[in-house]
Amino acid sequence: MVGMEHAWLLPTLPFGAFVVLLLLGPYLPRRGDWLAIGAVAASFVLFAFMLADLLGALDEGHFEGVSSGIDWLRFGTFHVTLGFLFDQLAAVMLAVVTFVGTLIFIYSTGYMKGDPRYGWFFAAMSLFVASMVTLVLADNLLLLYAAWEGVGFCSYLLIGFWHERRSAAEAAKKAFITTRIGDVGFLIGIVLLWREAGTFNIREIFEFAEAGGYSREYLTLAVLLLFAGAVGKSAQFPLHVWLPDAMEGPTPVSALIHAATMVVAGVYMVARTMPLFDLADPIALNVVTSLALVTILMSATMGLVATDIKRVVAYSTLNSLGLMMVALGSRDVTAAMFYLFVHGFFKALLFMAAGNVIHGTDRQEVTQLGGLAAKMPQTAAAFGVGALSMAALIPFSGFWAKDAILHGVSTHQNALVTALVAFSAFLSAVYMGRLYILTFTGRPRDHHAYEHAHEAPPNMLLPVLVLAAISVVAGFWTFDAVGEALGFPGSIGKFVFFEEPEELKFPSAIAVASIVSVVVGLAVAGWAWWGEARPARVLGERFRPIYQLLWHKYYVDEAYQWVIDRIVLALGRVIAWFDRVVVNDTGVDGTAGLAFFTGFELKFLQTGRLPNYALAIAAGALIAAAVLLAVRV
Amino acid sequence: MEWAVFATIAVPVGTCLLLMLIPYRHDEQVRYLPVPKLGPLPDRLPLSGRYLVRYLCLLSGTALFALSLAIFVAYQFEDGGYRYDLRLDWLRDVAFLGDRGISFHLAVDGITAPLILLTGIVIFTGVFISWNIDYRNKDYFVLLFLLVSGVYGVFASLDLFWFFFWYEVAVLPMYFLIAIWGASTNFGNFVRTKEYGALKLVLYLVAGSVLIFIGIFATFVEAGLGTFDLPALQAVAYDETFQKIFFPFFMLGFGVLAGLWPFHTWSPDGHVAAPTAVSMLHAGVLMKLGAFGILRVGMALMPEGAHFWAPVMMTLGVTGALYGAVSALAQTDLKYMVGYSSVSHMGYVIMGLASMHEIGINGAVLQMFAHGVMTALMFTNVGALYDQAHVRDMTIFGGLAQRMPRHAAYWAAAGLSSLGLPGLAGFVAELLIFVGVFRAGYPWAGALGILAAAITATYILRMLARAYFGPFNERWNFLKEMRPGEQFGGAVLVFFLAFAGMWPFPFLERIAASVKNLPGISQ
Repeated sequence: MVGMEHAWLLPTLPFGAFVVLLLLGPYLPRRGDWLAIGAVAASFVLFAFMLADLLGALDEGHFEGVSSGIDWLRFGTFHVTLGFLFDQLAAVMLAVVTFVGTLIFIYSTGYMKGDPRYGWFFAAMSLFVASMVTLVLADNLLLLYAAWEGVGFCSYLLIGFWHERRSAAEAAKKAFITTRIGDVGFLIGIVLLWREAGTFNIREIFEFAEAGGYSREYLTLAVLLLFAGAVGKSAQFPLHVWLPDAMEGPTPVSALIHAATMVVAGVYMVARTMPLFDLADPIALNVVTSLALVTILMSATMGLVATDIKRVVAYSTLNSLGLMMVALGSRDVTAAMFYLFVHGFFKALLFMAAGNVIHGTDRQEVTQLGGLAAKMPQTAAAFGVGALSMAALIPFSGFWAKDAILHGVSTHQNALVTALVAFSAFLSAVYMGRLYILTFTGRPRDHHAYEHAHEAPPNMLLPVLVLAAISVVAGFWTFDAVGEALGFPGSIGKFVFFEEPEELKFPSAIAVASIVSVVVGLAVAGWAWWGEARPARVLGERFRPIYQLLWHKYYVDEAYQWVIDRIVLALGRVIAWFDRVVVNDTGVDGTAGLAFFTGFELKFLQTGRLPNYALAIAAGALIAAAVLLAVRV
Repeated sequence: MEWAVFATIAVPVGTCLLLMLIPYRHDEQVRYLPVPKLGPLPDRLPLSGRYLVRYLCLLSGTALFALSLAIFVAYQFEDGGYRYDLRLDWLRDVAFLGDRGISFHLAVDGITAPLILLTGIVIFTGVFISWNIDYRNKDYFVLLFLLVSGVYGVFASLDLFWFFFWYEVAVLPMYFLIAIWGASTNFGNFVRTKEYGALKLVLYLVAGSVLIFIGIFATFVEAGLGTFDLPALQAVAYDETFQKIFFPFFMLGFGVLAGLWPFHTWSPDGHVAAPTAVSMLHAGVLMKLGAFGILRVGMALMPEGAHFWAPVMMTLGVTGALYGAVSALAQTDLKYMVGYSSVSHMGYVIMGLASMHEIGINGAVLQMFAHGVMTALMFTNVGALYDQAHVRDMTIFGGLAQRMPRHAAYWAAAGLSSLGLPGLAGFVAELLIFVGVFRAGYPWAGALGILAAAITATYILRMLARAYFGPFNERWNFLKEMRPGEQFGGAVLVFFLAFAGMWPFPFLERIAASVKNLPGISQ
């Protein structure tokens, strides 16, 4: 029977596919895409068996997760055992990675058809899945960090997949370097945790921390540094700038990496290390909440004016990531993971549906789209489901998850935080409504694109429809009855939780407020953009400075560019100048010059005249005699 | 195995002598020898003096690689002691020498085993890279192999006299290699001739040698044993004041060759001026001789002195790591960028040594290996491009990955190892150094070192984005993919980078066994 002890096979299958595709890709039929799809689908099947095994173990009573490992390094006092830990938290994340991954691989056979680097695309995607699965399963921070960098590297490769485009090459570089800045903190945090505990194993670190091994300040510093890694990877303010640019990658990449899996790795990591955040000073979780709130509000407002269909969806991803982080800031692991779970489906759905639009029309600016519902009915319907899920309208899955977050926030945070989160729900309804209206309704704005628009082929449509169906129903896991029917101990709150199993409650006040704000938001979107979109234009003219501010993304990119050009590169040039002029030309060549000069001057002592030498000898003898006398006395 | 160690020195010396016997005229005719067709290999073998030189070097390089690999694999000892001991008396019982005197004493331990392997890898690939050198290639290879014999000699010698001798043998051929086969740099407002680079490099290293020479003699006199034998000298407990005074002689003397800041400026200038294979050997192996000297002679003889000076060394190491990375950020010349990145990465090695902590020193030795392989790959790449384009300014290229995809892939592999991507050798080494530095009580230094790794990512990715990605610049449409020989050399280097990155245990098991025997190391 295949069970949890076979966890190592999960990353091995896609990694094997990567190696085979890399070496033999060009010689395989269809460039080996079937092999990549087979490997990731097999991972999903294997995951299903592991989940069944896990549920069986849960039924029998206490279950702490299965961990197994191999000695990777062992010398002196330095032991590293790399192992896999399969527990509920990992299971939720793996469900998204392997299932959505399989659908996106199938989708890619249509979207990437005819690309000259078709085989390389599948190789890199397989490597990504292998790294991502490793990240989820890692039982120690070192392996987690390695996989963390691995997914970042795959993201670099895939954002820059069409590297002939200058913008794609720049976006890839920006993504890698920006996340790397967060990773500086992450690695320092990991080493700080190791320094006291002497182990990288996550559970041993928890035990050490619970026994009071770290002082409170030390632990607070360490978890804040860990969080810096999450800020980079999960694109929280102030390191969020890379995610919108990452849309330069092919759409399946955006769907898999920059929506469903990699960008939520930061959320996952914080959820995984929640016991440490909990033991640290409350400042740590307050920092998480604050940055997340800034991210939510910035991204939701930027989503109101962006015109690139993928970028709007990317802003909605930033918005969702902020929501998950706010939930974690409120210590509500269940709500965060619930949102992560449903978000994986509906956000991948949104990207793939947007990909169908791009594929069908060759346009991705909403200013050139419009009226596509007639040409692409199924895609339009699926996009609508995704948009309503994102906007969190009852009964779509986003509603239940966002409600869980609102509930968690309202019980742990003050009223202002709750109000801001609720306001962002209104905003997300507005911009998702806007995006749908501008893309699929009204009159086509680019007739050439409209004439040639066509519904996507089956291999691109089927995954989208499957995800649409799941996006409708996934949220029902909030009910005990649904969870039990599927074999879980009950609702998601009884499966994934921090400390105690949670009953998911829906206080009617919150639910009503949430439904009202979404409906109002959709109504506002309809009022502003339906048809000729005159109210929107009038508002844009009226509040021109605000529009400009949002259009320029709060000038954050410009500010960073200024810092890079005027400070970082200038510092580089100053140091290079210092090295060349001060150290080399003055210090090094100066020494050489001094030696030359001394020799040049001293040679004049060699006059070749006997009296000069005689005088020198006499003077020297006198001085020597005087010194000797002085010393004797 | 004793004779295998001896052979690592004897083979290159013998190659030099044999090469000199090959008749060689500048106007010689090439004749062809038909051979059976084997796969993609050509079906006729060119024959002339020039080609005989190449065949002999290929044979010798392969033999050295095999010998080095055999020594590395065979060295598996838990106690980490000196093995394959070969001691031939050379001078004794004369004048100031006692009954041990000066002997030709060779041995290998866990620290030298990976470094010997590194030397084998670099010379083996270096022969492939140098294959197309046409101008006086016999003289070139004679000097190259002489240099290699010196490198092996330093790694294997257990007698300070011979240690110093081989150290000089490794350094001096550099002068001719750079001054004759090198390339001058001229950016208009910035001119560095190859003669300048060669002279500066040699003067600098000789100045370092003077300090080392003084240090060796001071030790010899202080010990009073009448011998230069290293194990015998290590057994002596030196006076603490003596150690504090004389450790800096080794630290700075060897430090010059290790690119210790602020004595590093010879290194970028020298690397840039040198021909490709010489840069590979130089940055890949020679700079390691400096760090190895600090460890084997300085720290092993004078642990208390090292302990006293460790904070200074740590500061210089961190400064070098950051300063090199930031300087590399400002370079537009590919080779200067690699040159400054070597300064930065050798800064990590110095940090690891200065931690005086078991984990940090393990990391430092592994970093010597990792950086050696990585930087050899980087210089291979620069050379492959420069040989065709005759410029190295990254700003005037663009989209080269479309024209030379494998070349770009090799660059990416080297660059990713240097920025510490997990799965490649650089990550493991840097991680151990950071961990050791943090444990040893220099968290600020560890944090700055991690920051330097992020800056490394910036300059590497900036270079890749500028020169290799983006729209293709039609001006370069005459460029071709790397030669098969260069590709093979690159593949060997990438293999070792990935192997040591994913499974570093074979390296660290050997290194750690010997590091734990070092005196004055904290756990």
